[in-house]
Amino acid sequence: MIFEKALWFIKRGYLLQMSYKFDFFLRMFFMLFNILTYYFIAKMMGDAAAKYLEPYGGDYFSFVLIGMAFSGYLMISLRSFSESVRDEQMMGTMEAMLVTPTSTSSIIALSSLWNFIFASFRVFLYLLIGVFLGVDMTRANVVAALLILILTIICFSSIGILSASFIMVFKRGDPINMLLMGTSELFGGVLFPIEVFPTWLQSISHILPITYAVNGMRHALLQGYSLGSLAPDIFTLALFSIVLLPLSLFIFDKAVIKVKAEGGLVQY
Amino acid sequence: MLTTLDGVNIKVREGEVLGLLGPNGAGKSTLIKILCTLIMPTEGNAYVNGYDVVKEGQKARSCIGFVTTDERSFYWRLSGRENLQFFATLHNMPQTKVKARVEELLDVVHLKNRADEPFLNYSAGMKQRMAIARGLLNDPAVLFMDEPTRSLDPSAAKSLRDFIKEHIVGEKGKTVFISTHQLDEAEQLCDKVAILDEGRIKVQGSPEELKESLSGGGSLCDVFSFYTGKAFVEEISSPAPFTLRRDRRRGRGLGMKRKGF
Repeated sequence: MIFEKALWFIKRGYLLQMSYKFDFFLRMFFMLFNILTYYFIAKMMGDAAAKYLEPYGGDYFSFVLIGMAFSGYLMISLRSFSESVRDEQMMGTMEAMLVTPTSTSSIIALSSLWNFIFASFRVFLYLLIGVFLGVDMTRANVVAALLILILTIICFSSIGILSASFIMVFKRGDPINMLLMGTSELFGGVLFPIEVFPTWLQSISHILPITYAVNGMRHALLQGYSLGSLAPDIFTLALFSIVLLPLSLFIFDKAVIKVKAEGGLVQY
Repeated sequence: MLTTLDGVNIKVREGEVLGLLGPNGAGKSTLIKILCTLIMPTEGNAYVNGYDVVKEGQKARSCIGFVTTDERSFYWRLSGRENLQFFATLHNMPQTKVKARVEELLDVVHLKNRADEPFLNYSAGMKQRMAIARGLLNDPAVLFMDEPTRSLDPSAAKSLRDFIKEHIVGEKGKTVFISTHQLDEAEQLCDKVAILDEGRIKVQGSPEELKESLSGGGSLCDVFSFYTGKAFVEEISSPAPFTLRRDRRRGRGLGMKRKGF
């Protein structure tokens, strides 16, 4: 039954997205702009940053492309669950869904499915355009990349569920979202290697899941590292997931109970 | 804003239509939302079809239907059919049954020929019929209807009332819990009426019993005024222009006597 529900949520997301076609094409168009911007920055840089980029294959465009593509999952995870809550509240459809036997947590999780599929489509396009622009992924370890992707989604989604719990209770002003969005881009090694930072600042990077996600993904896709070589990143992401997933579900359940008692489940 | 409910004690028998009558802010929607598991009561117990709405929320939800007046509770850019299929799936209905059930209900609410149009093209009456179709998707034992005719013109409201009376109650024999602040609607549809004001049930009984409870008889409007001390208007924000005070000790109001029930 959960599979049938998932399919319907995906279909709903697709139909709604396609009913705003202009928005869809505009997003795709500006994504291309974004990629081209970094392509020319990389061209301008040449080998200037080779010292820092060597562990990642030495090419800045390949480095930043993977960073941008997979950091999209963090953004989607952080926003998707809380936006699903808020969108359904604002559209007025939340109440109608909550009087069905489908649990609140399933509704929130399934409501985000389309966003993840759309994000994956964007990642695929990022990589495809990257290959056209000369990024070499012929040595990619696809199995390892998929494993890292799954762990990344579980880990980021857990943070997203925590974020949704805040939105459900406080409606606006989610500290998790604000904190992680701001720090991940700067300290997570998305646009430049964390080795650029002084050592004491690198310690901030080491407590962010995104650091391990983009690092592992770069090594798997660009350099074809084996599962054994990727073990530190995979292990750390798994550890984050094991801690964050049950914690986020527990807090989400508490948040649902709290807002149900206050009658604020459908308010925004 | 939530209205605090206090001392609400209602029992509705199977196949009975209960009308919850009260002004805006009386607590009608709060009571319905508690019974639909959307709000948790801080104290007391509520059961729907024998299920505790707090401890057995999922079981309670599997046997209820909820009809809201909120037009926004549908996806406006999806068609009527797609909306119903989506909500049917949330009711744990296998896809093999979803299509047949949705077609059956579209037929019942006379929307089959417009089912593939986006919901945003529907008139207020059609939207309300869609809300009823959605409420019936899981063939619920108990149907909750929160002011179902509120946004309808008199003709559409009458047509909807007839539909509720003839199809939902007459043919299907559903237990219906309907909130309204329209007296004719309560009188026409309900086996039993509970008057709710400021979060408390002031009186409950069949419309005839309630009217007979006033010495010399009266209308439901008189009953409402007698038990709440307010005039019954669409939006009640001030006390009645005439004073009907209820003497609890002696069971007397001005010119009206309360019979013992």
